[in-house]
Amino acid sequence: MKSLSKIGGTTRRTFTAIVAAAMIAGLGANDAMAQAKIEHPEGFNPDEWVIVASVINTTNPYMISNIEGAEAMARATGIDLEIVNSNNSSQTSISSILAILASGKKPIMFVNTVASSDAPPIVDAVKQAGGYVTIWWNKPDEFKPQHIGDNFVAFQKHTGVDSGRCGAQALADALGGKGNVILLPGVQDSTTSKTRVAGFKAEINENYPEITILEERPSNWDPQLGARNAKDLIVKYGDQINGVWSADDGMQIGAMQSFENAGMLDKVKFSSDGLYPKTLEDIISGRGDNAIVGETFHRGYMASAIGLYTAYLAASGQIVPSELEDNKRESFFKLSCVTPANYEQYLQYDEPGAPDAFVERLIETGPWDTEPVPLIGGGVEVLPES
Amino acid sequence: MRNLSIKNLSGPTGILAALVVLIVLFSLLNPRFASVENLQNVLFQVSVPLIIVVGTSLVIQMGSIDLSVEGVMGAAGMAWILLSPNTRLEGDIGVWAWFVALGLGLVLGLITGAIYAKLKVPSFVVSLGTWYVGLGIAILLYGNALLPSLTSEALARWPTQLTLGLPNCFWLAAVILAAGVFVSHYTKFGRGLMAIGNNEPIARSNGMPVDRYKIAAFAIAGTLCGLAGILATMQLGSGSPDIGFGQLFVVIPAAVIGGTALSGGEGGVIRSAIGVFLLIILNNGLVLAGVDPDYQSGVFGMILLIAVIAVAWPQRGRLKVAK
Repeated sequence: MKSLSKIGGTTRRTFTAIVAAAMIAGLGANDAMAQAKIEHPEGFNPDEWVIVASVINTTNPYMISNIEGAEAMARATGIDLEIVNSNNSSQTSISSILAILASGKKPIMFVNTVASSDAPPIVDAVKQAGGYVTIWWNKPDEFKPQHIGDNFVAFQKHTGVDSGRCGAQALADALGGKGNVILLPGVQDSTTSKTRVAGFKAEINENYPEITILEERPSNWDPQLGARNAKDLIVKYGDQINGVWSADDGMQIGAMQSFENAGMLDKVKFSSDGLYPKTLEDIISGRGDNAIVGETFHRGYMASAIGLYTAYLAASGQIVPSELEDNKRESFFKLSCVTPANYEQYLQYDEPGAPDAFVERLIETGPWDTEPVPLIGGGVEVLPES
Repeated sequence: MRNLSIKNLSGPTGILAALVVLIVLFSLLNPRFASVENLQNVLFQVSVPLIIVVGTSLVIQMGSIDLSVEGVMGAAGMAWILLSPNTRLEGDIGVWAWFVALGLGLVLGLITGAIYAKLKVPSFVVSLGTWYVGLGIAILLYGNALLPSLTSEALARWPTQLTLGLPNCFWLAAVILAAGVFVSHYTKFGRGLMAIGNNEPIARSNGMPVDRYKIAAFAIAGTLCGLAGILATMQLGSGSPDIGFGQLFVVIPAAVIGGTALSGGEGGVIRSAIGVFLLIILNNGLVLAGVDPDYQSGVFGMILLIAVIAVAWPQRGRLKVAK
């Protein structure tokens, strides 16, 4: 009885592993498309290394894109790949990473951290294992690669403030600089959400005095909560609402559905972050009288490929992190503002084989100079006054 | 033996009173709260958890628990949308999509029930396992391709369309609720579940087919989660493995707030349904009242505490044991 009662926990872990393995197997099926083999420097034996990509979950389109980038890097370098699915839990993330580190191979690692506080224990473990890691999106401000050493190669992100400003400009311009908007932030205490909201508010305060923010309702990156909150705000404000900004496309998809159900989609404008394929579809089809007016472009595969390539360069001795300038250790990469007028130039990055093509260019031009996401700055992101 | 007649008399008065107080309070804070539009909004929002809570209550009444809600919803929702007119696959099989998706829920429920009843593994861990099995199926169906969206206007619009002034999705939930009340109060099976929760050895020694009842209860719960997954997918207009995200922690607290004891043998479908209304209205009311998002979680928790104290007050017998 006692041993049986363990089944649940084991099932959960085993099953997660099976699913992850099945996904990797499925996703890796196009290995035959391999291309752009890197020529490793002398003395670097790829068999001693393993590429590890740790993502927050495997249901969000952004995370799936992260995995695609890691696969493209694995193909290009000929190094084995391990995917860590954190299942939205810091504990799962850290314990799975520790398990991989225990396997004996040295990791070249990309981590999309579940929470800022995950960064120190992960970096510490990678350092112990003699590996190299790049962290994306979240880390504590005072935890700097420069202080830790070469094994923590870099921290990289797209700035949230720029994302918020993009969304604010597009939305305010579409409303002719006048009107009322509601905001749907993500998880309220996440850095990504906070910085995007701060950017949005700063842009409105500085340049669009006649735009009023009616209310903000954090919607936890959840399309359904986005839909529910939008519905509640529709009841509360009715046709006073002229525009909706969401901190990511998932919540916008939910919000748009609520406005469509209320018969208001063609009277309200939307802007957000991420340019998900579904959003792109809606822009192309002009859904709701061209309801979507602004987006930002960046792709998960670009983030993981840049992160892994930077770590690979350090692992293979082609860069020495401690000799790099500060903004190559704490880096901001470009984020493009997308509107219905210029979206077409981004379609190429979603075509089949785009991650491999990106990795090929990345290897040619280096991690800091590859369009459409070159390095544009660095340091700790400062929130504007708003 | 507990005195059933006294329990029935006390009824869900506490929770109804709490609900009425909330409604009056929120209406005073924002008159739009009491508008027809908001009534339709609330009914739209309660329909998914209402369908789930019927199954949850049947399971909890017999002293078990079903944690698999979110995984089963994800699996059924993804299966349904991929077999209905969508942007990803041209595999529209019409009404059969419903059978496949509901069948998936049924099978997952049967597996949970069978392992629980036959192998005597606590339902808590078995259903945790089937949660992840369901989520795993949903993730595999989701793959790494485009987010599937419904292309059929008729299907996407159906939940919001009004029939006799109320949204269709609520009518669906109401029918399920009525069936749930009927089953639990007027059938041998329903009364049997309560008896199992009260005292399983006695129920067994009276010749009740306990194992069969247990499996059936989980099968019903699984099927209803499947239905809820389909409805939530329709409401959102897109499929996602996470379609059930957050529902577990609406329906279980709703059942408990409504007076369905986790130890079993107490409570009922109607009470749990009122619990769902309480939670959804509380959230909706706080948004309409304009409570600052920074305080919303805290205020939500405090009002909830006050409400459950009000609910439990009439039943605080000196000898009552709460676990």
